[in-house]
Amino acid sequence: MTAGRPPRLAEWLLRRTLPPGVGGESILGDLVEDWRDAGETTAASLTYWRHALSLAARYALRRERPNTLDLGHRSERMLLDNFRNDLRYAIRSYAKAPSFTIIILTTLALGIGASTAIFSIVNAILLRPLPLQNPDRLLYVTEVNPRGTLMTVSWPNYLDWRARSRSFDLLACSREENYTLTGTERAQRLTGRRVTGNFFRVLGVSPAIGRGFTDEDDRPNTPALAVVSDAYWRTKLGADPSVIGQTLRLDGAGYTLVGVMPRDFQYIRPYDLFTSMGPSSGSSELLDRGNHNGFHALGRLKGDATVDSATSELRAIAAALEREYPNTNTGITIRAERLADRLVEDVKLTLLALFGAVGFLLLIACVNVANLLVARGAARQHELAVRAALGGGRARLASQLLVESTLISVAGSTLGVAVAAWLLRALVAAAPEGIPRIADVRLDGPALLFALVAAALCGIVFGALPAFQASGVGGQHALVRGRAAGFAARSHRLRRGLMVAETALALVLLAGAGLMMRTLHELTRVETGFKADHLLTTRFVLAGDQWTRDKRVVFFGDLQARLRALPGVINAALAFSLPIDGSNWNSIFIVGDKPVPARAQLPSAAFTPVSAGYFETMQMRLIRGRFFDATDTFTSPKVTVVNESLAKRLWPGEDAIGKRLKQGWPENPNAWREVIGVVVDVKFNGVTADTPMQSYLPLAQEPSRGVAIVARTQGDPAALGPAIEGLMQQVDRDLPLYEVQTMEEMFGDSIARQRLSMTVFVLFAAVALTLASVGLYGVVAHGVTERMHEIGVRIALGAEQHHVLGMVIRQGLSMALVGTAIGVAGALALSRWIQSLLFGVTATDPVTIGAVIAVLLAVALVACSVPAWRATRVDPTTALRAE
Amino acid sequence: MTIPAYLGEFEQLLLLAVLRLGAEAYGGDIARELEARAGRTVSRGALYTSLDRLEDKGLVRWKAADGSPARNGLPRRLYAVTPAGMAALRASREILKRMWRGLDHLFKEPTS
Repeated sequence: MTAGRPPRLAEWLLRRTLPPGVGGESILGDLVEDWRDAGETTAASLTYWRHALSLAARYALRRERPNTLDLGHRSERMLLDNFRNDLRYAIRSYAKAPSFTIIILTTLALGIGASTAIFSIVNAILLRPLPLQNPDRLLYVTEVNPRGTLMTVSWPNYLDWRARSRSFDLLACSREENYTLTGTERAQRLTGRRVTGNFFRVLGVSPAIGRGFTDEDDRPNTPALAVVSDAYWRTKLGADPSVIGQTLRLDGAGYTLVGVMPRDFQYIRPYDLFTSMGPSSGSSELLDRGNHNGFHALGRLKGDATVDSATSELRAIAAALEREYPNTNTGITIRAERLADRLVEDVKLTLLALFGAVGFLLLIACVNVANLLVARGAARQHELAVRAALGGGRARLASQLLVESTLISVAGSTLGVAVAAWLLRALVAAAPEGIPRIADVRLDGPALLFALVAAALCGIVFGALPAFQASGVGGQHALVRGRAAGFAARSHRLRRGLMVAETALALVLLAGAGLMMRTLHELTRVETGFKADHLLTTRFVLAGDQWTRDKRVVFFGDLQARLRALPGVINAALAFSLPIDGSNWNSIFIVGDKPVPARAQLPSAAFTPVSAGYFETMQMRLIRGRFFDATDTFTSPKVTVVNESLAKRLWPGEDAIGKRLKQGWPENPNAWREVIGVVVDVKFNGVTADTPMQSYLPLAQEPSRGVAIVARTQGDPAALGPAIEGLMQQVDRDLPLYEVQTMEEMFGDSIARQRLSMTVFVLFAAVALTLASVGLYGVVAHGVTERMHEIGVRIALGAEQHHVLGMVIRQGLSMALVGTAIGVAGALALSRWIQSLLFGVTATDPVTIGAVIAVLLAVALVACSVPAWRATRVDPTTALRAE
Repeated sequence: MTIPAYLGEFEQLLLLAVLRLGAEAYGGDIARELEARAGRTVSRGALYTSLDRLEDKGLVRWKAADGSPARNGLPRRLYAVTPAGMAALRASREILKRMWRGLDHLFKEPTS
């Protein structure tokens, strides 16, 4: 019956403060009932907390107050006066020790700032629910091929899911489509999504102006409709409401603008517009069940359906489709997951790793603060002992220490929030493209709360308690000021323990940073198979019916000749897909001289139409045979150049030249192609993924509509951009170029995420190392001061300088060594969490760990040497006289 | 029975809320009644300590009712206004009425 429970901590607080018996219990009951009535939500829990705090404050005061009213007022006044005095005293004592105050504030600001910034990012991207109606009920569905790789959804399969499934209120389908907008002053490239009529209803949004689409608009050959985004409407259409009903020319076809989406609406990424299915849903390309044309389905779960129940229902439907359409659906199943999970899938691990790292940094900061306050507490034991002897109760002294650490926490967290705001801006600006919801990242309420909690943790829990301990406020030691007093030893033990912990934490962070550095290093020296420098790339699309196949072939030939004639261009070519950028066309195929395997076992390759001169432009090495040239035309025999992976896999130990392959299902009437060349593998789908099997086709024989231009330049490739844009304007002003970038930029973008992770890790590790070395220095220096007398005696008795030096350094390094050992164990224990972020190096890589240990110990040595050297300068007469 | 000289405004509101709720007056409902009718958001700390004070003064009393599962079995205090509370309210109302008498023309609000 009692399923949930209100916040336990709040409940505990109430039980401590409310009066015992029916009075207190009934209040608890009222709060529980309200909390349950409010739906046991987070908001309800927050309300519970609010009530609990107000009750705790009121009843705590009432209990403190003695029965008679007058006396009560007086004790309240006294409390306030004490607090004011404590505060004044605290400010004065911090002002008296400026270097101590600066170090402790810097530590807090760095620890709190960094962790708050990363928390803000994690909160915005992973924790905060999507700004959609009941986002938890939205299911993202794709298909999975027999090899287990994700595929997009075939349109007829989607229609069958929609007709047969019972798990969804609505099941929509959509895909990304980009368009060339013409009929305006200058042709533009627009980003868009083609969506079914129920798409907006699934998401629970409707246009702010005009209407959305209906199921009717899905029917083949119904009028083409478009809904634009609020941003597009404002920036390109002048925020004019009368644009509804106007026609937009997209890829040469007229689309009637029927609506404008609300300002805050976004699906996956910001699109310029959404188009209706009508113009596409009757096309043969979509009606072919074997085609997976970039769609994914999005469903809203019905009342009692769960992710699991919907998944198993869709799997059952997929199995039925497999029996009904064995030719196209053999081995094909589905994968369904919550939309929110899908969106963050790629970044989740990185973010959690960063969050973990920053957690370590925060702990180091906490330990450092504790260390500093313990040192201060120990230094003040005499003062505090005097106060205790003069009648300052344990509670009064504790409250003094509490006020001091609260004050420093508040100041530190204020600075920390400033650091967080700055760091957050820098991180968001440096974030690579394609991180979902990065625009939503901001320092909001939860982030500030996080900063406050972090500050409390740092300052009060880690600060005041050990300081209280170390100061020996118990009073039993009173005014004995002997060198070997018990509490001095105790505080020293505590500090050494903290130091070991700090070193261990720093080592873990350093190990992470080291591994990230290695990863980035490995990424930048990956053998790509082509020469990436001095290459400019850009794209355009020949959209619309007027671009017939023949016209495209002629246009490509003409354009390539003009590109090659541009000044500064060494060579230029066209290609359907580019290395690093990834394959735009993956297909199964069969080979001529081998038995055709079962349909589910057919091999798949990246098919890549490229113009003559492409391999030369990319400077890819030919292994056997020849490249494409001007003799490979639409009418000449159909040929292909395959990559090394394909040749080795399909014809191991044989010569691939002269062999034949055919793209598509065995029964498809595609032409057989003869292998005329074998080229080296290039990194095709990003830098980290293995090179797929690849079959290059002459662009003249397979003239795709969208192509990329690659131009190898003599000088700076980026400088060639305007010249190519000018050329295109001359050739056809309705062909906008997009994604103009150098190959090196593309390369940089593809490893941007790793680069950012590494930067952040290294930054954190550097801060951690600094904090740890400052801490170590502090402890060793303190130790030297404590033992000044002993050292003086030793020197007086003839101890050599290097003996003293060695003694002090040994003492400091022993802490660092123990910390390092613990840290290495910790880093190894955590290694499996970080492995998936690494490339070319294992998380337990001994070279990296060794280097990290060396760095840490070297820094520790330096931190110990300074006080050690000072110890050798101790003048025995001064040291002994001080006693 | 001694009649308290004067009730504070919040005390009056609390007593009136308890009266309005009849036999069902418990803490949560009293808070909501104050909010709905008087537009007063009151912290739970202030609410219960004020109710305790009214109880100390003998103006309200409560009886415990058994807790339902929705309350995790915790008891509920149902408040009622005591005769002394009624007397205090009546006295306050009289004082206010006397003070208001003859001033209505200063507050030209549409009557009825």
